[in-house]
Amino acid sequence: MTTVAVNLSGVVETPTMPGSPYLIDADGRPYVPVGDSGVVLGVHVGDGVFDVDGDHVAPGVTLAHADQAARHALTAFACFGNRAVVRGGAAAGAEGFVLGKRGEEGRVIVVFPDDVLARLVPGDPIMVRGSGQGASIAGVVLMNADPGALSLLPLTIGDGSVSAVVRAVLPSSYAGNGIGRPAQMWDIDLQLTPATDPGLRLGDLVAVDDLDVRHNAGYRRGYRTIGLIVHGGSPLPGHGPGLMPILCAPAENLPVTIAVDALPMLRPDHLNSRP
Amino acid sequence: MAVRTNADRLVTQILAGEVWPALADRHGYRVDADGTPFLLPGMGGVTLGVHPGDRATGYEADHLEPGLSVRHRDAGANMALQFLSCVGNTVTVRSGPAAGFTGKVIGQHAYVLVDLVEEELAQVSTGDQVTVAARGQGLKLLDHPDVVAKNLDPGLLDRLPVRTRADGRLEVGVAARVPAVAVGAGAGMVSEFANTDLMGAYAGQGEDLSLGLESLRIGDLVVLEDSDHRFGRGFRPGYLTIGVISTGHCRLYGHGPGPSSILSGPAEAFHIVDDPDACLGGLL
Repeated sequence: MTTVAVNLSGVVETPTMPGSPYLIDADGRPYVPVGDSGVVLGVHVGDGVFDVDGDHVAPGVTLAHADQAARHALTAFACFGNRAVVRGGAAAGAEGFVLGKRGEEGRVIVVFPDDVLARLVPGDPIMVRGSGQGASIAGVVLMNADPGALSLLPLTIGDGSVSAVVRAVLPSSYAGNGIGRPAQMWDIDLQLTPATDPGLRLGDLVAVDDLDVRHNAGYRRGYRTIGLIVHGGSPLPGHGPGLMPILCAPAENLPVTIAVDALPMLRPDHLNSRP
Repeated sequence: MAVRTNADRLVTQILAGEVWPALADRHGYRVDADGTPFLLPGMGGVTLGVHPGDRATGYEADHLEPGLSVRHRDAGANMALQFLSCVGNTVTVRSGPAAGFTGKVIGQHAYVLVDLVEEELAQVSTGDQVTVAARGQGLKLLDHPDVVAKNLDPGLLDRLPVRTRADGRLEVGVAARVPAVAVGAGAGMVSEFANTDLMGAYAGQGEDLSLGLESLRIGDLVVLEDSDHRFGRGFRPGYLTIGVISTGHCRLYGHGPGPSSILSGPAEAFHIVDDPDACLGGLL
């Protein structure tokens, strides 16, 4: 079957807050969430997920859409590796790439070079060439990834299986917000703290065992899901570094090698040097 | 020893709500864990024939909400209704042929869920107005400072298998112990709203989905292991949360029968006792 690409319109998100700025952490302490959306500077693919004291911090910008249904579609169809082009404002014409997505209302995370980021502001229009949903690999389910970008990741596609180098393999008890939600539109927060973090970096591959994300995310013994870490940690209970699923299958079809001390698995120049 | 609380310092607030209709969209189907489409009742409206003490699973239903499902039309007033209603609170029907009938809150699920005796439930319809005598948020267990109580009418606490032990721990009888891997949708949400869907209770589906929770009943007291619901809902080794099963069978994957959280704290603050009779059935 032939997959179809679509041009999607997104807008650099404007951060919003309610009348009271506080959220409550796991120990009942109030905190002000910083860096949750919009244009976030100084955070890059390859950084540790707890390197900054923010909340769900993603490297680059997040995109949204004023119409909620269009926002869900933008989130559903934008995939890792998709090209993004700024269509207005001071950075018009600049190019970036989709790293991942987040759930709930839905938002797309786009990585740009620092000099472009410095010129982007909330409200800037960005077009994403959405491509990837519907693509397939024998023996596993693929989602949320442009097949042309898989070569940027430490994956080896075999005959009916995909071997991956991952930073960590976690049991499904770490899967928090995102369980029970459609994984094509919603990342899964890993309920990690600085004390339990196995050294995850933005852009890492991580596997979660006994997790099936084909038809909503849920517990299924013997399944494995591999995803890309697309945003950093959160003090909020049930939240944490975001794993955007890209591969799901019975575990025997997704063999992994754990590389705790490996270099960042994805680097911005990987994305930016793509043809 | 009975649990000492600050119940004498809690106020009652009367909150209005409305029996909310079941909602659907024109596409109809959802899909289950195996990709099979389904179109089933259960959520919203008036759901008949299921009460505390009855089995929670094994129905041709999705997100089964026993009894009345209640909301408020105004978003802010609705959040107050959802946050402040507590398990065990009295609900009075205020309009329609069932006006004057009373029931009890059995939990929250983005709706306040209300149990009435079956003959009276059969006379309530969507759009009927109700009031909740909301009392319970702010409840403190005076001899258990590490345990946070919420969503619990202090009058009901006295009838639950919960007591203070001589060693200072809080003894709680539970009908089931729930491993952390069972926690589904609801993780990451505030713990005064909705409930925590439990996976592994898909009666009639595959063994690879099962966590042995198919025998849960509506109203069962359960302990969620390695779960901290004191200030939200998260996985946390060494913490326990006690909940009351308020919703039943789900086909939607990652969802399932769910407990409303009522007590949470470090594991060492509790003494958990297996008690097959630990259920709201007959207590309300």
